[in-house]
Amino acid sequence: MPFAAIFIPDFPVEAIVRVEPELREEAVAVVEGIPPLLQVVACNRHAREAGVAPGMTPLEAEGRLASHVSAGEWGVLQIRRRSLAQEMAAHAALLDCAGAFSPRVEDNAAAPDTVVLDLQGLDRLFGPPVKIARELVQRISEFGLAARVAIAANIETALYAARGFAGVSLIPPGQEAERLGELPVAMLLAGHGVSASRTVADKRPAEMLDTLARWGVRTFRALAALPESAVCQRLGEAGVQWQKLARGEGSRPLVPAEPPLKFEEAVEPEYPVVLLEPLAFLLNRMLEQLCARLAARALAAGEIRLRLESISDFGFGISDLSDSSQLQDFRVPQVLNPKSEIQNPKFRDYVLRFPVPMADPKVLLKLLQLELQAKPPGAPVKKIFLAAEPVPPRFTQGGLFLPAAPEPEKLAVTLARIRNIVSSFQFPVSSQTGSEPATGNWKLETGNSRVGVAELLDTHRSDAFRMRKFNTPVSRCPVSVSRKTQDTPATENGPRATGNFLTRTVLRRFRPPRPVRVKLENGCPKTVSSFEFPVSREPPTLSLQKPERLGWAAHDAPATGNGQRETGNVSVVWAAGPWQESGEWWSENPWEREVWDIAVDQSGAVALYRIFRDVIRNEWFVEASFD
Amino acid sequence: MNYVELHCRSAFSFLEGASVPEEMASACAEAGMPAAALLDAHGVYGAPRFHFAMKKLGLKAHIGAEIQFPVSSFQFPARTAVNRPLETGNRKLETGSRLPLLAASRTGYQNLCRLITRAKLRVSKDAEACAAEAELQEFSGGLVCLTGGENGPLALALAQGGIPAAQNVVEKLIRIYGRENVYLELQRHYARAEEERNQAAVQIARALHLPLVAANAPQYARRQQREVLDVLTCVREHTTLDQAGQCLQRNSERYVKSAAEMGRLFADLPEAVAGTVELSSRLQFTLADLGYQFPHYPVAAGESMMSFLRQRTAEGFQCRYGGAAPDLQRRARRQLERELALIEKLDLAGYFLIVWDIVRFCREQNILVQGRGSAANSAVCYALGITAVDAVGMDLLFERFLSEERGEWPDIDLDLPSGEQRERAIQYVYRRYGERGAAMTANVITYRGRLAAREIGKVLGFDGETLNRLSALAGAWEYKDPNDTLDRQFRDAGMDLRHPRMRKFLQLCLAVQDLPRHLGQHSGGMVVCQGQLDAVVPLEPASMPGRVVVQWDKEDCANLGIIKVDLLGLGMMAVLEESLQLIRDHGQQEVDLAHLPPDDPAVYAALQKADTVGMFQIESRAQMSCLPRLRPARFYDLVVQVAIIRPGPIVGKMVHPYLQRRQGREPVEYPHPALEPALARTLGVPLFQEQLLRMAMIAAGFSGGEAEELRRALGFKRSAQRMCDIEIKLRAGMERNGIPQEAQNTIVNSITSFALYGFPESHAASFALLAYASAYLKTHYPAAFTAALLNNQPMGFYSPATVVKDAQRHGLTVLPIDAIRSEWQCVLEPVSGFQFPVSNQTGSEPATGNWKPETGNSSWAVRLGLGYARGLREEAARALARARTRRPFSSIDDLALRVPELRKNELVLLAEIGALNSIPRSPSSVSGCQYPDDGQRVTGNGQRHRRDALWQVERACRRPGPLLEGVVEADTSSPLARMNAEERLVADFRGTGLTVGPHPMAYRRREMEGLGVCRAADLPRMVTGQRVRTAGCVIARQRPGTARGFLFLSVEDETGIANAILPPDLFARHRLLLISEQFLLIEGILQNQDNVVSVKAERVAPLGANSVLTQSHDFH
Repeated sequence: MPFAAIFIPDFPVEAIVRVEPELREEAVAVVEGIPPLLQVVACNRHAREAGVAPGMTPLEAEGRLASHVSAGEWGVLQIRRRSLAQEMAAHAALLDCAGAFSPRVEDNAAAPDTVVLDLQGLDRLFGPPVKIARELVQRISEFGLAARVAIAANIETALYAARGFAGVSLIPPGQEAERLGELPVAMLLAGHGVSASRTVADKRPAEMLDTLARWGVRTFRALAALPESAVCQRLGEAGVQWQKLARGEGSRPLVPAEPPLKFEEAVEPEYPVVLLEPLAFLLNRMLEQLCARLAARALAAGEIRLRLESISDFGFGISDLSDSSQLQDFRVPQVLNPKSEIQNPKFRDYVLRFPVPMADPKVLLKLLQLELQAKPPGAPVKKIFLAAEPVPPRFTQGGLFLPAAPEPEKLAVTLARIRNIVSSFQFPVSSQTGSEPATGNWKLETGNSRVGVAELLDTHRSDAFRMRKFNTPVSRCPVSVSRKTQDTPATENGPRATGNFLTRTVLRRFRPPRPVRVKLENGCPKTVSSFEFPVSREPPTLSLQKPERLGWAAHDAPATGNGQRETGNVSVVWAAGPWQESGEWWSENPWEREVWDIAVDQSGAVALYRIFRDVIRNEWFVEASFD
Repeated sequence: MNYVELHCRSAFSFLEGASVPEEMASACAEAGMPAAALLDAHGVYGAPRFHFAMKKLGLKAHIGAEIQFPVSSFQFPARTAVNRPLETGNRKLETGSRLPLLAASRTGYQNLCRLITRAKLRVSKDAEACAAEAELQEFSGGLVCLTGGENGPLALALAQGGIPAAQNVVEKLIRIYGRENVYLELQRHYARAEEERNQAAVQIARALHLPLVAANAPQYARRQQREVLDVLTCVREHTTLDQAGQCLQRNSERYVKSAAEMGRLFADLPEAVAGTVELSSRLQFTLADLGYQFPHYPVAAGESMMSFLRQRTAEGFQCRYGGAAPDLQRRARRQLERELALIEKLDLAGYFLIVWDIVRFCREQNILVQGRGSAANSAVCYALGITAVDAVGMDLLFERFLSEERGEWPDIDLDLPSGEQRERAIQYVYRRYGERGAAMTANVITYRGRLAAREIGKVLGFDGETLNRLSALAGAWEYKDPNDTLDRQFRDAGMDLRHPRMRKFLQLCLAVQDLPRHLGQHSGGMVVCQGQLDAVVPLEPASMPGRVVVQWDKEDCANLGIIKVDLLGLGMMAVLEESLQLIRDHGQQEVDLAHLPPDDPAVYAALQKADTVGMFQIESRAQMSCLPRLRPARFYDLVVQVAIIRPGPIVGKMVHPYLQRRQGREPVEYPHPALEPALARTLGVPLFQEQLLRMAMIAAGFSGGEAEELRRALGFKRSAQRMCDIEIKLRAGMERNGIPQEAQNTIVNSITSFALYGFPESHAASFALLAYASAYLKTHYPAAFTAALLNNQPMGFYSPATVVKDAQRHGLTVLPIDAIRSEWQCVLEPVSGFQFPVSNQTGSEPATGNWKPETGNSSWAVRLGLGYARGLREEAARALARARTRRPFSSIDDLALRVPELRKNELVLLAEIGALNSIPRSPSSVSGCQYPDDGQRVTGNGQRHRRDALWQVERACRRPGPLLEGVVEADTSSPLARMNAEERLVADFRGTGLTVGPHPMAYRRREMEGLGVCRAADLPRMVTGQRVRTAGCVIARQRPGTARGFLFLSVEDETGIANAILPPDLFARHRLLLISEQFLLIEGILQNQDNVVSVKAERVAPLGANSVLTQSHDFH
């Protein structure tokens, strides 16, 4: 009787109740999806009894509970969003618990609610199987989970019994078929281990279930009773395998989970570290250790995660926490308790992802230093946790025909430097992602979202773009690249390349657009308040000669004082526009702009700018200058 | 400054415009324009509506269209530094561009129609039609050409080759249309690319000395409708708003702008705005000058159409009235003379002859045909055989059909059997009048409830599940009670209306209501034209091969005076025709519908008992509840019966007084003694439109035509002012005739409250004929009638399951689908040997009712056709039938081998519904399973059960490979348990939607008895006021607008149908239950009024788990 299966019913609910134990006596439904299109994916027994079922919307589920005769018993329905992180944590806890009993534990990632243990030889340690089973239930309940445990001579029987029967089940050898007999055949689809599920998936199990339903074969017993050769003729090898499973004749071996590849280091300095230099010293030592361990297993780091724990009197600025992507991306090191510490402001996390695997501690240190310079901890550090994500090392030999590319490590360092520089500016900018494109919704950007490859968005809003992650260019087909370069006509390569006969006006955008004050006369800009340029170069100028025609609505704005600048203002010599643009009226961030191309008088020369009015907020901005 | 918008696009540009023509016209009027032009894409779909809307507003409507032509039509010079291409910002220009054309004269309009027709008919329905350059040249006369906006040829040329190319294109247009007919179009929507194009256009105009015209090319009437246009764009591009990007509008400037706004926009080019007025003054054509001519009927030399018509009428007179009483003959002769004189005067002989010709063709081809509608008021139509109702004998009012005053074409609708027969008649008309001489009228599919919800949901990016929920929401009940707020409906569907996107969804759904989505084909309206129809309206291919449709719907055609003949497919006509054929084929007597016994007592007995499931027009719940009170005893009662359950009599509160008077509980009174001749036959209660007309004629001295005008004024879209005018006129007339005030009030009330929904007596009479025929066939030839009814589903009020149960309750044997006997259609089989009376299984006595066995020596059973096996393809079923005629199947293996067309799922389906039970086992493998299943006959050792068949099918479908291919394996005995009764029931409903076995409720009778539930058949024997419980399968749910929120449920059990009435509050409390449950238990107070039995519900409850998937006929 060597195998035990642990099964947690309503796992998504249990994963949540585990950290909110007060919900255990409430009707709970777990929902998933993007609001407003949420759907119930799991619910607990109380909710189920009130008529709540997966597939309902939250409103439906609430209504069902409210209209249920016993509504008073559970009050309102507790609705929670599904949390994969909590499910992972619950699964990890389950594995920890199983690992405490047996060195051979099977971990099926496809079924996080189930774990199988090999109990061979454990009786001398823990006593008879039934005692082990009870002990398991008890231990798992201490982790906040309600489990079913079944023990049987083979894995599949244990799994089906755990899923099919409440509490603790013990299936003696030889009684498998008898004990499993009443279970529904639909259960054959769920709950078996890695190898079995692969086989069944190949044979279209839903179709097989349908056939069995038509045959009136509803239970394991009925399936087991069919003649084997006839089943083979009709359902093939998969049918025979199902039949064996239904008879409790499972025979697959346990696939023990390999010990996770954890590469973590932690240091607790004697005194809190205040300066970056001693911190870098400590980091260097840790990185050397990590890299040595990685090298010993022929691995490199694809990602470095650093967590600094500060002394509690110091907090981090609110801007640090606003960068939610950092928190979301951070995968909690196993040494930490996720519930208690992940949202604690005394921790500061840094994640470095590399375009290529790296194992050079010096490079890694340099990158970490740059990151720390860009985002200093802000408080004395009392603990340092460092973890590396192991990946196979880099394929180093370049292609014979590949053009020489910069060393990936050097490129990574360069990029980090750039990121470091651009992130030092903390001025508000308009969001450049497709999801929040409104000019009005500003947020503080960090360096990461300003480094990469700019990509224009398909919208009428002329300044919309997003930053695509920068990857080291690896050309797999150098021949075609060179051909493309040769074939591309010069005129397609932009205005600079076609200088022999075509010169286009170049627009230089100010990112973000600079707010200005604009005075209108007859609906046309008359003066614009002067503003600081974001870069040191002078704005482009043309000679003070009005073009014959610029746009259909070129208004000659009267130049005040013969083109002299008013106090703090510049006169608009002429203006073309307005160009109307609007969009995303269906979203929560609609935008509407009235754009003007203007010429302003600057010391006898004309400078050309593009300004716009945010119609919704009624504010003016300078968007760009023309070369 | 004046301005005329010469480039409007309406929603009839299908997904490229967001306002209907009426809205555009109204916006043009508000903008102070004297005229405007509608240029929809690829057609003049919206032109009639625009024309009439503009006419009503006192404005002139110019007509034109945008014609698509391919890029290759113009050869552009190679790109150089000089012909730098311009940025157009328009992706569509890669494939082709649109040339805006305006009709300056009738010739121009005709050319435009021909041009569109030529391009459209060259490609299939959904493909984009492109005109060739040669065609532009061929049909250029009388047309004025603009250079268009972002999709126009100028933009295309500028994008391809800069100004030189653009100039080339304009020169080419000059060569095609003439220098005086080409205008450079300028549009300004506050977009940069457009301005560059405009500057080029101005440059070219000056170089070539061409005039400029300004246009805003509006695609919607009001600024805020830009959102709708964006949505429609996404529908067209099959994308969502989030992903559409630059396909969407840049801004909201494409609305109808006033002269002042356009003046401001073109302050630098005032001549462009002034040019619009000048061009408008050149456009003389309007749709009032359509030039439509109805075709002449070809007659022999020396004969006129009128003389030919007189001859045919005289022949018809002999046939119809030859044996009639002298008085009727005299009246008929007089009426015919009167009608012929009017026909001659109005020059309509050709029309009557053309319809007569179609009817003659149908008769020759043995196609049942019958005229309906107001044509039945005409004695000439009766004499010509167009209608079957004796207008003289029934004293019907001719003016309802045709009058001199109205000055409009008569309308003759012909009912034909739906399906192939009707198609033959339609193809005859095509052949007779040529491809360009006849076409179907269009049916504009507009955005309504579900379609709107689904498409807008998609555009907003909702997932499939949410879309299903939202579109289900849109299928609302007819009646809306005050609690039926949208908020509540959304909440019931689990949607949160507080979410902005959900609110936007709702707002957009409301905004797109009634906007055209695409063009369909009207079910039967045909237009014909003397000469070429394609010069009157563009023609285009329909999705059905061989069909051509015009771009206007029947209302538009009628409004423009285009005459049409409706060749309508009527399911019941097909049933009648098929019944007659079955009766003939199975050795029974020949039945002639024209000579049915007029007062068959068995038929009237069935009608009086409301035993009318499957009968034409009198089978609905409401009709059934009226029949026992009205107790029809002669044909005219049936005419009344058909007409009385209509919104008109119900809203006008005519039903109750009529029934009371008929039952002698109320005296027959007339509003005024003078009205007695008009109202006598309906006991003083006006029930028909003709009676209203007669009332107006008698009481107020209206002429026939005036009275018909009055009916029209009251009908359709009534306006308070118009009602008021009519009332004044009526009262003045009545005053002149000395009718007292009180009687005047009654008459005015009757007329105004009733006219909206009234039913013409002639139409009711035509339908009553069909109703009588269907009742006669059902009563005397139930097998043939039921088989024909089942073969022509869906039709009528009840699902096939109910039709079968009703037939069985009347003693008819309905046999299940059988692979060795069933054809694709349901057929008749002689009954012998094993019988399957349902009543024996349920323990109740046979409810044979008034049905008699079929006339003849043997009685017949209906064998369900393979067509009822859901998911079985016709091709496979026919292959099966062919294979068994060569040699019977020896086993299921043999079947699978010999009919390779049958797929595995089809074989499984056949096995599951018991259709393979009759296929014998191989003698070597006969096992002990020899029990009858599903009432099929047991013949020898070969009998099997459904699971046995399923067991064999599963093996037979696994092909053994090439080596053993062709080897028929012996059947092995099946280890599977046979299906129990409920499993068979579930399999029957899942596989065929019905069962020939016991009703699902029969299996639960004992349980029901325990709950004190009465059978439907027991209810009539119970006392009014008694508290009862009834239960069954819901077969119909109705919540009519006239019933103030009451819900009517029909539930069926093994003994019949029980009706329940649920008050609004009960409905509100159990809304979800009542909508979704298939089996219900209803408790309430029994009401039995004049043998109309119903339960006034006080409680409802679900009957619990039942996996039978039944169908209910809802929301009617």
